Amino acid sequence: MTTSSKPDITPQSASLKAKGPSTDLLKQWLRDMLLIREFEVRTMQAYQNKKIGGFCHVYIGQEAVAVGCTAALEPNDPVVTAYRDHGHALARGMDPKYGMAEMFGRIGGCAKGKGGSMHFFDKEHHMYGGHGIVGAQTPLGAGLAFATKYEDEIINGGVSNRVTLSFLGDGALNQGSFHEAQNLAGVLDLPVIFVCENNGYSMGTAISRGTTMGHDITSKAAGYGFDSAVIEGMDVIEVYEGMKAVVDKCRETSRPAFVDMRTYRFKGHSMSDPRKYRTKEEEQQYAQDDPIDKLANELMNNRGLSRDEYDVMAKEVKKQIREATKWAEASPIPDIEELYRDVYVEKFGPYSGTSLPAMLED
Amino acid sequence: MSIEITMPRLSDTMETGTIIKWEIAEGDVVSAGDVIADVETDKATMELQVFDDGTVARILVPEGQTTDVGTIIAILAEDDEDSTKVGTESGGASSAPESQTKATSSDTTSAPPASELEAPVPTREAPAPRSNGKMKVSPVARHLADEHSVDLRHVEGTGPGGRIIKRDILKAIDAGAETQAAVPPSSITPIEPVSVATPVKSRTAAMPLVPASMGSMLQEQIIPVSNIRQIIAKRLIESKTTVPHYQVTCAFDMDPLLEMRQQLNEQLVAQQVKLSVNDFLVKCCAVAMYEHPFFNASWEGEQIRIHGEINIGIAISLPPEKGGGLVVGVIRHADQKSLRAISSETRYLAEKARGKGLSLEEMSGSTFTISNLGMFGVEHFTAIINPPNSAILAVGAAIQKPVVKQGELVVGREMSATLSSDHRVIDGAMAAQYLASLRQYIENPASLLV
Amino acid sequence: MTTRTIEFREALREAMSEEMREDLRVFLIGEEVAQYNGAYKVSRGMLDEFGPKRVIDTPISESGFAGMSIGAAMMGLRPIVEFMSWSFSLVAADPILNNAPKMLYMSGGQFGCPIVFRGNDGAGGQLGSTHSWCVESMFANVPGLKMAIPFTPYDAKGLLKTAIRDDDPVFFLESERLLSIEGEVPEESYTVPFGQALIRRPGTDCTIVSFGRPLYFCLEAAKTLAQEGIECEVIDGRTIKPLDIDTIVASVRKTNYCVVVDQSWSFASVGSEIASQVHQHCFDDLDNHVMRVHNDDVPAPYAYNLEQEMLPNARKICEAVRAVTYNA
Repeated sequence: MTTSSKPDITPQSASLKAKGPSTDLLKQWLRDMLLIREFEVRTMQAYQNKKIGGFCHVYIGQEAVAVGCTAALEPNDPVVTAYRDHGHALARGMDPKYGMAEMFGRIGGCAKGKGGSMHFFDKEHHMYGGHGIVGAQTPLGAGLAFATKYEDEIINGGVSNRVTLSFLGDGALNQGSFHEAQNLAGVLDLPVIFVCENNGYSMGTAISRGTTMGHDITSKAAGYGFDSAVIEGMDVIEVYEGMKAVVDKCRETSRPAFVDMRTYRFKGHSMSDPRKYRTKEEEQQYAQDDPIDKLANELMNNRGLSRDEYDVMAKEVKKQIREATKWAEASPIPDIEELYRDVYVEKFGPYSGTSLPAMLED
Repeated sequence: MSIEITMPRLSDTMETGTIIKWEIAEGDVVSAGDVIADVETDKATMELQVFDDGTVARILVPEGQTTDVGTIIAILAEDDEDSTKVGTESGGASSAPESQTKATSSDTTSAPPASELEAPVPTREAPAPRSNGKMKVSPVARHLADEHSVDLRHVEGTGPGGRIIKRDILKAIDAGAETQAAVPPSSITPIEPVSVATPVKSRTAAMPLVPASMGSMLQEQIIPVSNIRQIIAKRLIESKTTVPHYQVTCAFDMDPLLEMRQQLNEQLVAQQVKLSVNDFLVKCCAVAMYEHPFFNASWEGEQIRIHGEINIGIAISLPPEKGGGLVVGVIRHADQKSLRAISSETRYLAEKARGKGLSLEEMSGSTFTISNLGMFGVEHFTAIINPPNSAILAVGAAIQKPVVKQGELVVGREMSATLSSDHRVIDGAMAAQYLASLRQYIENPASLLV
Repeated sequence: MTTRTIEFREALREAMSEEMREDLRVFLIGEEVAQYNGAYKVSRGMLDEFGPKRVIDTPISESGFAGMSIGAAMMGLRPIVEFMSWSFSLVAADPILNNAPKMLYMSGGQFGCPIVFRGNDGAGGQLGSTHSWCVESMFANVPGLKMAIPFTPYDAKGLLKTAIRDDDPVFFLESERLLSIEGEVPEESYTVPFGQALIRRPGTDCTIVSFGRPLYFCLEAAKTLAQEGIECEVIDGRTIKPLDIDTIVASVRKTNYCVVVDQSWSFASVGSEIASQVHQHCFDDLDNHVMRVHNDDVPAPYAYNLEQEMLPNARKICEAVRAVTYNA
């Protein structure tokens, strides 16, 4: 972690610290990242096979961010993000079968097929969505932090001890709602961390073209009086250690913070993105910086992970996603009655009350 | 210019055709290609299509009648014509059907002679409302006209563009009723059948044929059973056939209670509270439960459940326009409530029951029920137990009677109440004791206030 | 039942305070609600009772604090969000329309949004176009929300308590012009259920349906019309969502005429919706088409005479009733 600003996004060389998290933990993170990667690959495949409709944004390349950030949290810390949300849900612990079923529009989906790719929710794992409007999730993140603090202080009569992570992309930096959320978080002392997954592009617009001070976005947080950090998002250990410090301080002080998480989106903005706005060379350069390869190399070179062990892990992950896909395909489409459920909690008009998704019923 | 429609030749051998069914009526707008009638030929029943646009001015051949091919069977008015006038000119097309139609004895709807048709026309202040040949009638006016058999063709529309509106129909009904009333009863019978069968031409005939004075005659009717009535039927049959009922009746001296009620009501008048006798009875029945818990109980086959709360049900009759029937509104914890609270709650329940209807919660959970027909002057009746209650009190009116008080014959007010009890739960002596307790409260009502 | 006479604004305050005493999850948030005692003094004294952690002043940042409160509601708190005016809610359109009413659905039933948005709606007194929004027609178009418009202090209190207890997002539309009117409320705690219209004046000749402030215009018109022999039945719908169409239908079946008075603009409005439903349910009972009285289809003007003319005032209602009953 560095607290100084960086001039531009540049791939980091694959140097990992020998100390730090235990080997077992690193293996777990590797597995988590592989799971997200495989999930996203199969998502793309299913999309091309027309099993998934609508908009679909995959997380390939950014896996270290979700996995490293989650590792720095307590299990009951709320998380909210934007539409590129598969990685966060899986990192938080959602079974991939519920995510795949959601995208297939099946009743077994995490939102019973009513949310789709952009709207993954998981109450059990404190994942508050998956939100489709750029920046709109940031006031919600402030609200989640407000609620944890209120619950702790007013209802339970204690002190605030939960931290909310509110993810956003660099495209959301210029939305009014984000600035309003930051201002409120500052003025109300909310324990929320705005993690900007800075992949350099808001859809097809390079950050330098759309964002003033794009080379140093922490300057925006400075205007609100927040602590901020720039973290190397292609390295899960850096993410974890950087975030751990920010999270711990936030928990202790109940003050908001901002993170410029430097990362890269290997695929397009969405499935229909020809990526004409960036060069092949740039993509190839970042491909060298694959967070999964980086951690795998570290484990193999310095932590005694054998090639076989890695292959077994990769195979297990493949199998898990294959089964998840199979499960999703077998999950029935929603009954038509489901159309009229969950509009209101209480029965009103033709609408009936809630029935929880299968994943919460077990 | 009007367009004559003649009986067509629909087969090579056809000489005559029979109108099986007209698909049109006078006043209808038709377009070329529309099917206007089914015609039976010597070989088959065929559809008769019209070749021109226009408004049907006259239908000259009734259904069921056979005419020669080429006979004019109907006349269309074109756009620029008043369809009401088409076919009425003498010497015009109207003479043709007269001569060519083979009238039958049952021909009650055949076109009347032109002279008859003409008669009412000049009496109208304005032509019947038409727009593009279509009569404009508001939906409710059409509905009312149907209901009262008012012929819309003879009603003057006073709405925008000559639309016939409710008021016009009401006026027509009124006028009809007046005309009707002016006809001496003896003249009703001799009405010629033919006049009745051509109702369109006279104002009186547009009215219902049954005189108003006979409207009160009973008529056979089929009334579908509403949900609530089905429930009443089911539950009361179940109660009456499965619960071993027996009745115990008792008379109560109502003077003390009525006096106290009057005093209280005088004090409460400013607050718009008016306690009823029934409010007192609810309270009496409720507090009497403390000594007689079996009256606040349910038979459950293997066991008897004595309820932990006292919820008094009150039978509320629903008005006929709501479909009648009765529901039981429940005063919860009646034992703990003031008379005033019972009174306002009862009024609320009754009004709501007769208005929007009670919620399930407001109707459920009674542990004892009171049915009161006192307001109708009923002296005494018995009621069917409202399951799963084990008893119901049927209350009559407080009636002035000669009574003996302190050895003297005086006029007192007495109320009779009959307790129906479930013998599986309550024995006869228990019923007598409950009524004795009730008497204690009713005849010493001050105890209710403490 | 003993009653007290209180102002509309006090009724709103009592509803909030009573619910906040009952339920720690309930809090009030908005511009000037705490130290300033409310821009319209609705929340006067609440800061003293509940402290700054439950009566929360916000910056002028509707999108931010509306969104933040929705996040809090997702976690199970029950925020009351005061918009100084619903006119200012437009900058918060995304959170209040895209998040609050859809959260439950989008999350497949996992995260509801028990929140109340409340504030002044409709023309005030010469506030000009930007501050005279009537949002009911725009917002009632959105599935997943409920909408209440109180007319009396009694309803203001009873409906607001129901709104706060409701598990779904409720848009609660008050009127600046009504805040000082007085009315009776019972001493005892009570609520007014949603979806139950009230007949404010019984009549036999024409049904008038309205919500909130225009009901005063309706009652005024009904009085005038009674002198002409037209007895109007004035129905206070109380909640737009859910709409008690049954009460309206029962009345129209009786009167055969219906005028809908709606203080929003006519195109695709609450008024047009009610007219449509009346036509659907009462087709054979109508002697004329349903007529509507709305704000004129212009931006709200500043000049007093123009503003009065724009509103669905008593004169226009009288004209509509006469026309619909063929008494023009």
